[in-house]
Amino acid sequence: MTSNIIVFSEDSKIINDALHVAYSLSEKTGNLIALTNSDENAEEYFRNFDEVYVTKKDLMPDQWASLLRKVFLEKNANYVIAPHTVNNNDILSFLSAKEGMHMVSNALSFQEKGDYYVFSRQVIGGRGISYIEISKNEKIALTVPLKVYPKINLNKSPLVKEITEIPNSKINFAGFEERKRSGVNIENADIVIGVGRGFKNKEDLKLAQELADAINGVVGCSRPIAADYGWLPNDLWIGISSKIIKPKLYIAVGISGAPQHVSGIMDSKVIVAINKDKNASIFKYADYGVVADLYQFLPILTKKIKEMKK
Amino acid sequence: MVNIAVLAKISLNLNLLKIESNGKINTAESPLAISEYDKNALEEALRIREKFGGKVICISVLTWGPVNKKLQDAERIMRETLALGVDEAHLVVDDYFDSCSPLETSLAIASVLRKLGNFDLYLCGESSMDVSSAQIPARIASILDIPFITYVAKIRIEENKIFFHRELPNGVQIIEAQPPLVVSVTGEINQPRLPTFKQILQSKNKPLIKYTLKDLQIETKAGKLNQWMEVRPVIRKNIIYEGSKLEEIAQDLINNLIQEGVLKI
Repeated sequence: MTSNIIVFSEDSKIINDALHVAYSLSEKTGNLIALTNSDENAEEYFRNFDEVYVTKKDLMPDQWASLLRKVFLEKNANYVIAPHTVNNNDILSFLSAKEGMHMVSNALSFQEKGDYYVFSRQVIGGRGISYIEISKNEKIALTVPLKVYPKINLNKSPLVKEITEIPNSKINFAGFEERKRSGVNIENADIVIGVGRGFKNKEDLKLAQELADAINGVVGCSRPIAADYGWLPNDLWIGISSKIIKPKLYIAVGISGAPQHVSGIMDSKVIVAINKDKNASIFKYADYGVVADLYQFLPILTKKIKEMKK
Repeated sequence: MVNIAVLAKISLNLNLLKIESNGKINTAESPLAISEYDKNALEEALRIREKFGGKVICISVLTWGPVNKKLQDAERIMRETLALGVDEAHLVVDDYFDSCSPLETSLAIASVLRKLGNFDLYLCGESSMDVSSAQIPARIASILDIPFITYVAKIRIEENKIFFHRELPNGVQIIEAQPPLVVSVTGEINQPRLPTFKQILQSKNKPLIKYTLKDLQIETKAGKLNQWMEVRPVIRKNIIYEGSKLEEIAQDLINNLIQEGVLKI
């Protein structure tokens, strides 16, 4: 069955993260049609598509949703696939409801099983996997995680069409407060120290930084430290809705182990937890747990390591 | 006056999951709990009502069946929302919705909403703690044909304008919009309250209205999906150190990490 597949992303920089799944579901014969924004390197991103619909304007999610629906209906597409971001997931959900379609958010893997596809995705805060069987004949929407599927290069010469008719938004943009960036890439670090609400003051985070310096690690954090208190930049926030890390060693300090955080560290090789509450759920995910006050234990741990280095 | 419908999920209680020997989660035997961020949505609704007046209702669909095993637990959770201050609770209970997808859940919620009339705000948590699809807010907005604003960490009401601060990975986006709106909130927006004993007693006299499939208008061409959940095997050593000999604990921990090959000194 030759089919049209729409690959959507409000940000064209990441649109190719959805390409592998789109190409596989197209059974390598369908038309891959992109709907996305423009960017100085956009031509390069577009080379994997047969057709590209593009806008140079910054759009609100509801504007994207109506453009997406228009392209979806015009092309009589079977699948809509997007790299998983907060906005892309919303926009595809909006379309799915309008068209009465099922949607799989953040599909980690998929496989064929006769007339069905079986998609998997993380549930219960990363502790579980849900498997979802969908008939190949159903129209569906999918978002897929970034940097999970293999990169492919299709080298096509797409027809690029600029969208000129943009529907009005019912909501108004009223400002953006950028977050400071740390410049540290916690996704590539071998050793990550995660700090959480067990720290009482911003200044106290230096206890974690001193340990990190002693063992060539970097400091990351749970959601409240970045999003709530603003003690660390958002690019150091570890969790399912932010950075997912796989270091050799993860040391969670003063982190209770909320599902959102745990799902961002599940694939670490060794996990150490330091928390004064012995019932903290982080201990369930730890290879080594230390039930102690971080203010007492961290300085001792750092001192020991420094002594051993001498 | 601001009338608010809170869309709350009756989630699996993540601390009490019943897991079979093959790793499958036995949802039929697992107890329930209100989803974490929906508590924040409920709290925000109550705070808005305290300032501006209006009505707060709560709607939920029991998506973990079978109904005969789960009804009591689901009703208990709806009573909790009433105790917190919700004026009316509306609960959809039908085995049709057992382990259903966001498609069916959103149709059920929208169908109940249509019976109840219009609200200014439809509030829910950013995602459910069990399934975390985060599809419901945009789906409800789509069915009701109104805008949606998700991941809101702050709602600011000034004269005739409402500002929503969206917590996004690279910063905070501020949106101004007029009701009706579907808004999903993050855990940072507030600290949910606990009910008083008096409120718990009073909740027994508040309305809890139940619906089954035949009370709702649900039309869908899409088939129901077959889906199941398994627990990812967590293979961790779980060596726990306790006690006051912190020097010894630190040394032992370091030795173990060196032996594991994850720490070089």
